[in-house]
Amino acid sequence: MKEIAIRVSRYDPGKDAEPRFEEYAVRVNEGARVLHALHAVRDEHDPTLAYRYCCGSGQCGSCAVRVDGKPVLACMEEARDGMTVEPLDLPVLKDLMVDLEPVIAKIARICPAPDAALPAREEIEAIKPLRDCIECLCCVSACPALQVTDFAGPTVLRQEMRLALDPRDSGDRITDAIEKGLFYCTTCKRCTEVCPKEIDVPGKAIEKLRELANRRGLTLPRHQEVARLVQETGRSVERTQPTFLEQVPEVIEPDGPVRGEVGFFVGCMFNGRVPQTALDAMEVMKRNGIRVIVPHDQVCCGSPLIRTGQTSNVSDLKRKNIEAFASRGIKTVMTICAGCGATLKNDYDTPFEVKDVTEILTEYGIEPPSKLDITATYHDPCHLLRGQGIGEQPRTLLREAVREFVEMPSQCCGAGGGVRSGVPEEAKALGAKRDAAVKATGADVVVTVCPFCEFHIADCTDVPVKNLTTILLEGYRKKDAEREGSV
Amino acid sequence: MVLYNAPTNKMLVDEIVDAHVLVIGSGGAGVRAAVEASRYGGVVLVSKTIAGKGGCTTMAEGGYNAVLREEDSVRVHRDDTLKGGAYLNDPALVDALVREAPERMADLVRWGAVFDVTEDRQVAQRPFGGQRFPRTCYAGDRTGHEMIMTLLDRLDATDTHLYQEVSVVDLIADENSAVAGAVALDRDGDVVFFRADATVLATGGGTQAYDISTNSAAGTGDGFAMAYRAGAELIDMEMVQFHPTGAVYPYDARGRLVTEAVRGEGGILLNARRERFMERYDPERMELSTRDVVARAIATEVLEGRGTSRGGVYLDVTHLPAERIEARLPVMLEQFLAFGVDIRREPMEVAPTAHHIMGGVRITPECRTTIPGLFACGEVTGGVHGANRLGGNALADTQVFGKRAGEFAGKAPARSGRIDETVIDEKLKVLDGFSTGDASPAEVRKDLKLTMWNRAGIFRNASDLTAALEEIRRLADRRLRAASTANLLECCTVRNMCTTASLIVRCALLRPENRGAHVRRDAEIVTDPATSPFSHTYVSLARVGIERQEAAA
Repeated sequence: MKEIAIRVSRYDPGKDAEPRFEEYAVRVNEGARVLHALHAVRDEHDPTLAYRYCCGSGQCGSCAVRVDGKPVLACMEEARDGMTVEPLDLPVLKDLMVDLEPVIAKIARICPAPDAALPAREEIEAIKPLRDCIECLCCVSACPALQVTDFAGPTVLRQEMRLALDPRDSGDRITDAIEKGLFYCTTCKRCTEVCPKEIDVPGKAIEKLRELANRRGLTLPRHQEVARLVQETGRSVERTQPTFLEQVPEVIEPDGPVRGEVGFFVGCMFNGRVPQTALDAMEVMKRNGIRVIVPHDQVCCGSPLIRTGQTSNVSDLKRKNIEAFASRGIKTVMTICAGCGATLKNDYDTPFEVKDVTEILTEYGIEPPSKLDITATYHDPCHLLRGQGIGEQPRTLLREAVREFVEMPSQCCGAGGGVRSGVPEEAKALGAKRDAAVKATGADVVVTVCPFCEFHIADCTDVPVKNLTTILLEGYRKKDAEREGSV
Repeated sequence: MVLYNAPTNKMLVDEIVDAHVLVIGSGGAGVRAAVEASRYGGVVLVSKTIAGKGGCTTMAEGGYNAVLREEDSVRVHRDDTLKGGAYLNDPALVDALVREAPERMADLVRWGAVFDVTEDRQVAQRPFGGQRFPRTCYAGDRTGHEMIMTLLDRLDATDTHLYQEVSVVDLIADENSAVAGAVALDRDGDVVFFRADATVLATGGGTQAYDISTNSAAGTGDGFAMAYRAGAELIDMEMVQFHPTGAVYPYDARGRLVTEAVRGEGGILLNARRERFMERYDPERMELSTRDVVARAIATEVLEGRGTSRGGVYLDVTHLPAERIEARLPVMLEQFLAFGVDIRREPMEVAPTAHHIMGGVRITPECRTTIPGLFACGEVTGGVHGANRLGGNALADTQVFGKRAGEFAGKAPARSGRIDETVIDEKLKVLDGFSTGDASPAEVRKDLKLTMWNRAGIFRNASDLTAALEEIRRLADRRLRAASTANLLECCTVRNMCTTASLIVRCALLRPENRGAHVRRDAEIVTDPATSPFSHTYVSLARVGIERQEAAA
């Protein structure tokens, strides 16, 4: 047995003005779960503590709570000393018990056709990854879109796709899905991250439903414009100035000895909209001895099309891009755009390795820049943090480059999944939340590593937003200036 | 389906919800009963939990037995079930089970269930213990969850009124001593009355009465206790199935089910000396022997000092391809990973755990109990599984008898009897009593569970059982205290657990032989299951005993 201290949110809407935290010291066995700590509170301190539980083995979805802010199943998450237990972000009935029923009622029921027969094996196998849901509503509690729209919730859309895949179902799932907010999902994958069953709702449901919607001509007009642009120009972004590719040679040699070599997948945003950031990044690579090869025949990675369900021409883009890098014998392809990186890593089958710029720089090790005399916070791009599992490397680099680094809670900025173009009011509302989070840190600058996040957050806050490579370059320039000054 | 949300639809104490059929319980049997009964009139389904999240169907992993192939036959399924049940089963109930399990499986498939299928588009089947044909249909290792999701979809298409998080705490009799409804508590502890022409008890099992149990928190045996108090007769309550493989770590999650599908897929059992000990207990069927045999084998290994330091044995699938484990046993893989064990690389540690109560309310094949107005189906009933249930027969049981109970309750005539106010007053008085009690329900529960595990577990004898009964009576006499009105339910539940425990122990004392799951270390009579002179034990308010028969069937 061991003793742990836990903080539990207590709230009786009939009596209390607002929730409060109570602290309890409880004795639990080694390996005890959060649920067992709650049992101990009930049995040893306060029998009136309200919380749900049933199966005790992660199968019924009754006991989801937030532990230190993250939605988890109380019966599966190990209890920790000092943890804070709160209800899911849903209307609270009492203490940790929330009202699940209104959301569960939105989860569609199958309408079997009268002549429904057993599906074929491949149909069953396609449905199964979407069928593990235990309706715990962790995803609903965590989804950012739900904070600013009437999105029905990740698992509700999951069910629409599960039914769309079932030949027995006779319902119109595409129309339903659109009514339930199909285009509100930013594909941030926060739902997958908190799902006890790790269901990939954005990839296996949202994007697939958007594909089905596309086949019925129901893609949002703004998204169709993007597809037309890609079709006509090979790029998803209209150029507003000379492009990156127009400004650089095919091979960018480093300043000093060559320590390594990478191919650079520039991406549409960096190429046409914010080329200066990519040029900054090239300076950082030069400074650190990394030769960069830039095939000029590369095109859009296809991400804006895949996220919005317009996949008919994606295989052509993939073929062109793979050919562009493979034909030059490139072993490692670097991305600076989180969206391109996640797409190349997750949606492509490439004969070369794909790495984010922060992976490349931390692996090779960088020349230390002079620390900028600023306080910086970092915004995790969804497609970097969850799309590629990269959170530590950019922080390591940033800590080397600024006087003070402060954390900010991670949340989607609202730009992804076609939301900035398709549902601008949602993107703006989520951006405003980022603005508030940035302000709360007191930072002088927000640093990120995704051109979409950078562009969008800059639209939503008056705090400067910069790419990490720009910060590094500024550090090098400061270092050079200091050297010159001392000479 | 109409939803009644407990906090927003408060019932006044003097308000009575009226139904043609009242179904108590939202597991596989209860929902199936409600679906069927809704064809005949107004149905109210009362669920202690949010429907789909309670009961043991949701947790059932391995599968559903049904004869679906030409090479298999209902006769073989019948014989397997009777032999596995040590011939204590009610043959008429077994006939219904094996004959109708395939039809009820077809219902589920028609209603949208996502069972695994074969290349040639048939419902896939896996081998399970004690069966001569691989007839266990499955949806990975979340078969019960798949069923309950499908059943709730179907229920939604009916006019059933669903009361969620409303817990029935007692049955109500009318002036003719027929069951005419029930009294329940909502989430806040406010009282709700239900009146019905026919009532279906589908409350599931109750092995939460044991310290180590696979059951969900809802498996507290309320139905056994309520039926007993209402005057119904129960049979074979001593027959408690100890599942051979429950998790032993972490301690607070001990007893968690490790599905038989692990052995069905090829998992082997090893003791701490890494000996495949089933060779000594059942060399023919090995790990896929019946559950009573495997559970006793593991218990014996541990008792004789060949267990692990945590008091278990190893269950090993590391010789199976990782992809197969990932595809066929995803829930097991996920659960053990959460507890720090990768079953693809290291063995699980397991020990027996109280799993299923084979005994229960005596029913006819039409699911009629011994008192008018009351029907029952699923784990709360006795007779289907005899002295040992085959893995995969419980899910089939829920569907076959859920459908039957719904049908015959639905066909029941309108009831004219009136409920005497003194009956209601009496029920309320019991509830009021909890406000002046002095005993902590948590403590009584804990003592009860330990008593049952230590004295009425896998190996039994008269002196332990007698001591257990004394202790249970002492615990049942404690005056439980409700800390708030919302805690009234907890008091009712603990009271029901005590009643269920006493029924188990009383019946265990009545059976002098070793039969199926019931093993008396002090048994003086050696019987052969097929020719035993003993049949059902029975217990009701009116009588208690053990039936004898001239010759075996």
